[in-house]
Amino acid sequence: MSVRLPEPLQRLTTDPDAPLRQGAYRSALRDERLAAILGAALGVLFSTCFLTGLYSHLHQHPVSWLPIPPRPAGLYRFTQGLHVAAGIASVPVLVVKLWVVWPRFVSFPVARRVSGLVERIGLLPLVAGGIFMTFSGVANIAQWYPWRFSFTAAHYWMAWVTMGSIVAHAGAKWAVARRSLARPSRRPALADADPDLGTEAEDGVGTGLTRRGLLATVAGASGVLTLTTIGQTVRPLRRLGLLAPRDPGTGPQGRPVNRGAVNAGVVDLAQSPFYRLEVTGRVARPLSLDLEDLRALPAHDAVLPIACVEGWSYSAPWRGVRVRDLLDMAGGEPDRTILIESLEPRGAYRTSTLNPGQAADRDTLLALYLDGEILALDHGYPCRLIAPNRPGVLQTKWVNRVVVL
Amino acid sequence: MTAAPRPAGPRFWITTAAGWGLIGWGLFGIVSNHLDTRPADLARFVAAGALLHDLLVAPVAILAGALVARAVPRRARGPVQAALVITSIVALFSWPLVRAYGLAANNPTSLPHNYGRNLLVVLGLVWAAAAGMVVVRLKRGI
Repeated sequence: MSVRLPEPLQRLTTDPDAPLRQGAYRSALRDERLAAILGAALGVLFSTCFLTGLYSHLHQHPVSWLPIPPRPAGLYRFTQGLHVAAGIASVPVLVVKLWVVWPRFVSFPVARRVSGLVERIGLLPLVAGGIFMTFSGVANIAQWYPWRFSFTAAHYWMAWVTMGSIVAHAGAKWAVARRSLARPSRRPALADADPDLGTEAEDGVGTGLTRRGLLATVAGASGVLTLTTIGQTVRPLRRLGLLAPRDPGTGPQGRPVNRGAVNAGVVDLAQSPFYRLEVTGRVARPLSLDLEDLRALPAHDAVLPIACVEGWSYSAPWRGVRVRDLLDMAGGEPDRTILIESLEPRGAYRTSTLNPGQAADRDTLLALYLDGEILALDHGYPCRLIAPNRPGVLQTKWVNRVVVL
Repeated sequence: MTAAPRPAGPRFWITTAAGWGLIGWGLFGIVSNHLDTRPADLARFVAAGALLHDLLVAPVAILAGALVARAVPRRARGPVQAALVITSIVALFSWPLVRAYGLAANNPTSLPHNYGRNLLVVLGLVWAAAAGMVVVRLKRGI
């Protein structure tokens, strides 16, 4: 079957079975080996994002058959910092990879075999998914939501689509990638390999970045993005965080917040003289404590991180009442899930749950103090949950109810 | 020049089946959580991203490459290409920050930096490095 396109279009299309560099796309950088290296790097980065993302999802959508342990305390801070950093670092790799393999997107005929057609169809979720995951992630850390769907739900489910496409693509490209990666890295000069291009090179056309130079450029771009953003979670690099959406040293009490008291609609409720903390549910003796009662209870200190899903984090000394002490006082049933409720009138994160292991941890506190000072209103005054190994959105602020479920 | 087509082996079909299984699971999740994922909205957005790349970003990149290949002297070409690639990517990445699209009211910790200035600083360093490379090349007579 030989359908010919009109001449101008024909010149811009490529042969699906020819090497990348062909026809109108003469740059020596349209290269199988380069495509394989960039593809492998993307595979590693996206898989890192996928696994750390699954872990974060499991925190926010807990399942009873796989309870998340409260230790190590800094684990979520590490995995989520890695999730965002790997996603940011993948942006240049993705952009350049798409450029290198562009001739494959404009091949005509679309495919010559059933397997080729299946592979080509798989490029749709691969490319669209890769672009969507990086774009939505980058927009989310900038807290920019130019869409109507829920970011977390869309980002999560599209991750499966994208990862599936990567699995199919990796299998389809395995042989060609291995072949091109196995080739000796020092290859003949372009002029020897391709006399045409060699002559052009003498004329000054077709030279410029070498293959190695392009890889260095990608590494440079990823490096610049990483260095200018990682300071939002790696404290010693804070000063380099020129393009970081948060600064771990800016905010009330020198600490950032994602949602302050005004936006949460709790300013009056949190400062009301009628504030009470209730411990209720499956308990022998329901408690209703005012702020004085809370402050009179035995206090404990813990240095724990706030690790936002958006990739910024800080570690701080907290002081407050152990959740397990409160449960003991109330005579709560052991080994139950604990629901922590906020004064917030609405919002997806007005409650969170502690599994039995998390509730029993010695460092799981209802904190009253941060850095030795009374909690700022934006940090959850009069008291907030702070527990080890936990996403920031689940460190519920302005807590007024602890329910044994 | 058409390479001899290799028949797709078991690896191809196994990974294809596994991959499309995962894709199917993702699509099932999108549809069954439609109140959150808004499938029609999401589909439009995903398609828009791919189309924006194919119809705008890629052609512009290809044209820019062709332009640089003709307009920039040979010794400066590599560093200029590298600096252009880094500039476009870093600028695209930080654009939502520079324009403060996501700036939250009543939250002084939201977007705390002067991102426009910072972007210029970063890009200034990138171009200074590129200029340094050109100088080195000229001295070495490459």
